[in-house]
Amino acid sequence: MAHDLKEKLKEALLDLNNDATLDYVQQFLAADEMTAKQAVDSIAEALEIVGRRFQEGDWFLGELVYAGTIAKEAMDVLTPALTADDARANCGTVVVGTIEGDMHDLGKSIFINYARSAGFDVIDLGVDVPAETFLEAVNEHEPLAVGMCCLLTPAAGGVGRVVELITERDLRARTKIIIGGAAMTQAFADEIGADAYAPDAVTGTDIIRGWVG
Amino acid sequence: MNFKERFVTAINHKEADRVPIMGLIVDTATSCKVLGKQPANILDLLKEEGPKDDLLAMLNTPEVWNQTYIDIVSDNLEAAAKLGYDANWAIYTLLQLHEDKSTKVGFVWHDPYGRVWEISEDNNGNSIINYAGGLCGTKEKWRAKMEENKALFEVLPDYAREFHCALQQRFGDRIYPVGYAAPGVFENSWQPMGFAEFTSLLYQDADFAREIIAFHTEHYLRHMDAVLDAGAEVVLGGDDLGQKTGPMLRPAMIEEFFGESYRKVAARVHERGAKLIWHSCGNINALLELFVDWGFDGIITMEPTAQMDVAQVRQQVGHNLALIGNLDVSHLLVKGTREEVEQAVEQAIAGAAEGGGFVLSAAHSHSLIDPQRLQWMVEAGKKYGKYPLVR
Ligand code: B12
Repeated sequence: MAHDLKEKLKEALLDLNNDATLDYVQQFLAADEMTAKQAVDSIAEALEIVGRRFQEGDWFLGELVYAGTIAKEAMDVLTPALTADDARANCGTVVVGTIEGDMHDLGKSIFINYARSAGFDVIDLGVDVPAETFLEAVNEHEPLAVGMCCLLTPAAGGVGRVVELITERDLRARTKIIIGGAAMTQAFADEIGADAYAPDAVTGTDIIRGWVG
Repeated sequence: MNFKERFVTAINHKEADRVPIMGLIVDTATSCKVLGKQPANILDLLKEEGPKDDLLAMLNTPEVWNQTYIDIVSDNLEAAAKLGYDANWAIYTLLQLHEDKSTKVGFVWHDPYGRVWEISEDNNGNSIINYAGGLCGTKEKWRAKMEENKALFEVLPDYAREFHCALQQRFGDRIYPVGYAAPGVFENSWQPMGFAEFTSLLYQDADFAREIIAFHTEHYLRHMDAVLDAGAEVVLGGDDLGQKTGPMLRPAMIEEFFGESYRKVAARVHERGAKLIWHSCGNINALLELFVDWGFDGIITMEPTAQMDVAQVRQQVGHNLALIGNLDVSHLLVKGTREEVEQAVEQAIAGAAEGGGFVLSAAHSHSLIDPQRLQWMVEAGKKYGKYPLVR
């Protein structure tokens, strides 16, 4: 039964069926022999498949975004039902924002959605974020990673500045830096000394997962 | 052959004397550098002490806005003409200033469709505006906003007509200001709501999504009519339908929801005897056949950072579309060498200009694009773009 329901939940999400997904989530919560954590795992598995389909060009941005929206709704229902142990078992904190001068927010939001579904605690700094604000957030939250989104060439200097600030404060051992968005490339990441560049949100999530403990 | 004949000839897939060159907006920072003008910054006015009611009332008077806006776009056209371009975009917009204490500046612009535009400064000290979200996150909010702006929607086409006529008059003997009806129906549908919200509607409340699309299509046709009234042979329309790796939505879904709308727009332009060129950023390779099917006559941009290649597009669509593009603005036109710029121009022309149907252009505009590189682009365009092309 547990296995069955897990598969059904996964399929509902992969069919982009919002009502069915939420319905199965309720069934999880109502059944004694199952936990909210199992439902969360199912959702994470489904999102991984969604991400792969997008990477391979079988699915399009709208589908990636809508799957993320459904997953978020399901997580909103499930989160209060997670046990304290499950909730504490998150993979770590990640600070994410779009760099100053850049207001593009779709890519950042998708990355955040996927990172959260993968179990990360994400601090969303929003768009148009000054380098100093990234540094303040790193000091305050002591994150595992900082993720910066940048689509505009004129804003790219700010991304380099954040790397400089974090490096100057000797925080690189604790906090890794990952970048993404249209103006970012692997070559640029190498040039400014970021730890990683991700061409898409799913790769980005895989990379930060690799940095956990 | 003058600039306009050259441009129109190319769009009609005939070889002019040479490949025409077109500007894609020409950003204010770039224009200031070309014209030797000081940066213009509305923030100086907004930061002054004291009440802002008078300033708001003045800027929000359509006549004042329209006049100021014509002057801003005139600078872009002036710069484009000075760079040696044959044509440049001309987009009409109406914005209204609102107080908003939650922003850094304390003010934002609203457009009639329900978008919020934040005000900030570029690297050169010009004030710039950026789409920062929408006011229409729910069905109720969307309907209320469209109702609130009903009177504005009535007069917008008139303002647009006056704007395009004024620019034709000012620049008609020096450069071709190609009228652009913007934003397009796709962007007007999602941006005032948010992309995630609009995408959810497509799945959960398709009827309401269609209501939004039909509303904007109706308005867009009137906007396009106004552009055509200024006497244009070629007009621009546009929507960012692509992102870095592919279309924003599954092509079949774009067809299902927006196909009819785009067909109507193309048909209207053709009824009036003009050609329709479509702008979209991002990777739109998977949409090219649809563009032809909808009746678009050309596309503009073909963003290289999204793996768009003009030669490949030409191979794919033949001369069913005129192609305008596509010099990279992430490196090449910011800090590329002269050789790199020349090579890119030569390659684009070799790949797409045989038999006409090609116009050389940058793939977008932003504040770090360097006028010197644009100049090199123009010079190379004149050198390699002479017809008959040397193979
Ligand atoms: C939609 C769009 C807009 C919308 C933005 C809406 C919004 N709120 O986000 C509008 C129309 C408002 C807009 C405005 C502008 N834009 Co724009 N825009 C685009 C477009 C077409 C798609 C961007 C997008 O949303 N993609 C969808 C998302 C999901 O994809 P993504 O951002 O790439 O994110 C994915 C990955 O990159 C990754 N990712 C992204 N961030 C991060 C972060 C981390 C940490 C990780 C791990 C991963 C990751 O994961 C995501 C999912 O897989 C791009 C084209 C392109 N190639 O991207 C141009 C583009 C980015 N824009 C461009 C320009 C020039 C502008 C303007 C300056 C235009 C102008 N002259 O006014 C303004 C600037 C506004 C500003 N200051 O921010 C240029 C930038 C060129 C350059 N090199 O600088 C581009 C590349 C288009 C082009 N022709 O060259 N734009």
